[in-house]
Amino acid sequence: MKLTLKQVDRSFGAVQVLYGIDIVLAPGEVHALIGENGAGKSTTMKIMSGYLAPTAGQVLLNDRAVTFADSQAAEAAGVVLIHQEFNLAEQLTVEQNIFLGHEMKRGLFLDKRAMRDKASALLKRLDCNVSPTATVRDISNPDKQMVEIAKALSRDARVLIMDEPTAVLTAREAESLFTQVDRLRESGVAILFTSHKLDEVKRISDRMTILRDGWVVGQHPAEDMTEDAMATAMVGRDVSSLYPVRTRAVGHDKVLTVRNLTVPGYADGIDLDLHDGEILGLAGLIGAGRTETMEGLVGLRAATGSVNGKAPFPNPRAALDAGIAYLTEDRKERGLLLSKGMRENLTLQSLSDFTGLLIDETAEDAALTRAIADFDIRAPHRAVTVGNLSGGNQQKLLLAKTMLAQPKIVIIDEPTRGIDIGTKQQIYEFIHALAAEGKSIIVISSEMQEVIGLSDRVLVMREGRIAGELSGDTITEDRIIRLATGLDGRKDAA
Amino acid sequence: MKHLALAALVAATALPAMAQDVKVIGVSIPAATHGWAGGMNFHAQQAVERLEEVYPQLDFVLATASDPSKQVNDIEDMLATRNISALVVLPFESEPLTGPVKAVADSGAWVTVVDRGLAQDGIEDLYVAGDNPGFGRVSGEYMVSKMPDGGKIVALRGIPTTIDNERVDGFQSAIEGSGIEIVDMEHGNWNRDDSFTVMQDFLSKHPQLDAVWASDDDMAIGVLAAIEAAGRDDIQFVLGGAGMKEMIKRTADGDQMIPANVTYPPSMIATAIEMTAVGLTSTAPVAGTFTIGSVLVTQDNALDFYYPDSPF
Amino acid sequence: MSAKLDLRVLGPILALVALIVVGALLNSNFLSAGNITNVLSRSAFIGIIAVGMTFVITSGGLDLSVGSMAAFIAGLMILVMNGLLPTLGPGVALVLVGMLAALLAGTIAGFVNGFLITTMRIEAFIVTLGTMGIYRSLVTWLADGGTLSLDFGMRTVIRPIYYDGILGISWPIIVFALVATLGEVIMRRAAFGRHAAAVGSNDQVARYSSVNVNRVRMLTYVFLGILVGVATIMYVPRLGSASSSTGVLWELEAIAAVIIGGTMLKGGFGRVWGTVIGVLILSLIDNILNLTDGVSPYLNGAIQGVIIILAVILQRERKADG
Repeated sequence: MKLTLKQVDRSFGAVQVLYGIDIVLAPGEVHALIGENGAGKSTTMKIMSGYLAPTAGQVLLNDRAVTFADSQAAEAAGVVLIHQEFNLAEQLTVEQNIFLGHEMKRGLFLDKRAMRDKASALLKRLDCNVSPTATVRDISNPDKQMVEIAKALSRDARVLIMDEPTAVLTAREAESLFTQVDRLRESGVAILFTSHKLDEVKRISDRMTILRDGWVVGQHPAEDMTEDAMATAMVGRDVSSLYPVRTRAVGHDKVLTVRNLTVPGYADGIDLDLHDGEILGLAGLIGAGRTETMEGLVGLRAATGSVNGKAPFPNPRAALDAGIAYLTEDRKERGLLLSKGMRENLTLQSLSDFTGLLIDETAEDAALTRAIADFDIRAPHRAVTVGNLSGGNQQKLLLAKTMLAQPKIVIIDEPTRGIDIGTKQQIYEFIHALAAEGKSIIVISSEMQEVIGLSDRVLVMREGRIAGELSGDTITEDRIIRLATGLDGRKDAA
Repeated sequence: MKHLALAALVAATALPAMAQDVKVIGVSIPAATHGWAGGMNFHAQQAVERLEEVYPQLDFVLATASDPSKQVNDIEDMLATRNISALVVLPFESEPLTGPVKAVADSGAWVTVVDRGLAQDGIEDLYVAGDNPGFGRVSGEYMVSKMPDGGKIVALRGIPTTIDNERVDGFQSAIEGSGIEIVDMEHGNWNRDDSFTVMQDFLSKHPQLDAVWASDDDMAIGVLAAIEAAGRDDIQFVLGGAGMKEMIKRTADGDQMIPANVTYPPSMIATAIEMTAVGLTSTAPVAGTFTIGSVLVTQDNALDFYYPDSPF
Repeated sequence: MSAKLDLRVLGPILALVALIVVGALLNSNFLSAGNITNVLSRSAFIGIIAVGMTFVITSGGLDLSVGSMAAFIAGLMILVMNGLLPTLGPGVALVLVGMLAALLAGTIAGFVNGFLITTMRIEAFIVTLGTMGIYRSLVTWLADGGTLSLDFGMRTVIRPIYYDGILGISWPIIVFALVATLGEVIMRRAAFGRHAAAVGSNDQVARYSSVNVNRVRMLTYVFLGILVGVATIMYVPRLGSASSSTGVLWELEAIAAVIIGGTMLKGGFGRVWGTVIGVLILSLIDNILNLTDGVSPYLNGAIQGVIIILAVILQRERKADG
């Protein structure tokens, strides 16, 4: 079965994220979809598999235009998306998962024997040794991936779309996955997958489509592309005006010295120095362990190693007392109380500064007035619940809240995720202004441009380790991608 | 044959050292959720301890249940795992217990039912019954004798059950035509706190009352506290019931507010256990119905009903 | 502010006013000083506990053990006073020792609940269901299945704590008012109240905002435990006894009062004044039903249930506001 996207556009509200996408997935072909974070890969895959509808353009199956009402309709037509996070019921067995929602029945009752036989056959076809009666919780990640694929095949998937299938796999596990992908290709399934690991793309794909900022910027047979050529194609645009011009010098005093910081399962032996007035970028792929490292640093996760010569902070309060604040990437679930007002949110982290015996509400109000002015927070009225603010204004409030605690060092995780370009620019200005005041800032960002535009110096993480450090003219997207994907500095990860 | 096998099993599991033919008597009663039940539990334990010494060939299993379904489980367990030769049961409620007790009777074991009858006649070998209509009647008759010219009273009822209905019916028919008028009646649930609250509200509602039928000594305590707090002196006396030791003591001491009591002895469980033991170990006939009457206690005979060691 | 918002705030108050009007129409004694004193005094036990429960629920917790805990502490307080009576003699000193014992026992009981919930990370529902059974059994055991009674000589000394007062207002009412006022101030104006609401609203946000989530949770349970102790101090003098039937279902009445008052069961928002109104509503329903003829007493529970549900429906507009 052939799946085609023809001149597909997609907008979210006023923001257009896909522009005239043309892709053909042919039977018996593995197609790679590559691009930076935010290039439009996920949206493209969701349109293919019925999770989203195109704003304009067509989805064609075997050259006939189709409209999927939802993902179930797409699955019924043979198009299945396997999510990056496994979509399996952990407490159920392998075979129960494979047939979840599509149980085979005989009369009123489940036909367990038929399901067992079919599950065994499917797993055998995938050359997977996992038992159909094993509980999913107990099996390994690659086996879970296989169960996902078996689940897709049980629905007669003829088009299989995989969102970063190797993100959670080791190199060996990925190789065994590719063996199965080869098998599926031979049986005539059309396959699309995404990956940030360019060597894998080279290894497994027949064709590739490169996305940048919602546009297709190249479609090539895999054999024509080197990994370097792919990286170059993914990068390359001029957004320099988005970032403030540097007018200040980084100080010479070290304000933070981290040695051998280890967060079990996420980060291993991280060394890091930070100077006063410095903006340090922390780049890497999603899942490289950047957030976890910083959470370990401020006491939100158990960590070992040394921070300024002492043990890591036991809790965020201790870190804050030492002048270090962490601003989360997840403003809705970890940053702000969405059902509360701006005042309660603003002062939550520094409430003790407003409290003698009782909370000084007048002082709180004054602080809110100042924050609204300083950070240009645009709210319909002062009593608005924070959940009703736009993402950009929420982010400004979160920034105001963190700065109200007067930290000397601020760690900002994904400062502009899901924010329009105008507010982005404002936030970049705030960050620069803070650095100019002598605050030291660590910015975690998955957007290369942001890291490059903001940072004085960049650390790139890969698989829980520092893969390399870049500064001055060496901070380029090409170098960052090479370090993040393991093209350069591979020996570090070995 | 069956009996021999059973005895052998009991001997093997429960008392391996004893070669004697040991019989097991199961006792199943509601847990001590209020004063009277607490007294009943106390007497059951006392009886079991005493009888185990008197009859070496008897073994007792005592189980207390906090609700009817737990009691059903207890009885099923006794039948299945302890091979009981007899069951003494004070049913939590009649209906849900009828089936399981019948199963015990059908297995050939002796069944003694206490206080609350089962929903079906003829299951039990022995019925040791309290006299609920009699309890109400004796209480009513005392009221009439104490207030020959009639008067206004309020009544507190127990937890809504058949027992409570029988008592109230007995009371009402006894005072019929005497000029005594029940001006208000509410459930105090055999509970001190509840009866205190209800009585406070009765006192607000009715500016003049002559007496209170509290129908239970726990409730009488709550009623007395409410009257005392309100500082009312129109009420001449409070009639409780069931013979709690503190109240009996006050009657014996001549307390004018508590001139009398009506028994409904929690020790009837001991009577039942003892009669069952006699039935199992001798040829004396004990089958049938044994009704324990409710007796009027006044200052004259109060000391005969005073058990200072009982918790009730 | 919109009409919706007003209804949300006014809902419980309207329900209370409606009940008072109904009561006054049905019985002329309803508004008498005596009846009002009775209703307020008997509301005090549940009320004092419900103020503490407001904090626990606001921070996203639950405590089912308070009724049993009250019975157990009452039993303990009586045993302590009876035991020390020969040494200390009937007097103020012994009363103070009894009070201290009750407060101490409440603090420890609250700490145990809090410890199991925060440090041991066991569901609050399970922990307090467990301790509920434990305290209920313990008081039955202490009382040997019967009733624990305060020694008669002591009763006259301790009685005034429930029945007397100043300026014609009885002590339970005064203590209830003090606890409620204190609770309201803490909830609205102290960092602890703000933190409790933050933890109940989203404990992750609280944690990322450097709030010590476990400490806040623990303190809500300890605070509740202390208030159970205070309620017990008011309760024991009333009848001078405790048994296994003491405090039965108080936990549910307290929780119902909290919810009627507008605190969210899932946590994140609480108001103590609402809880006070909730407690008064529950007491008034009983009181009015006792003062009225014509409604079968079998239906008391049903009427109570309907009014609880109505009071909550009245303030459902919360969703529309965000």
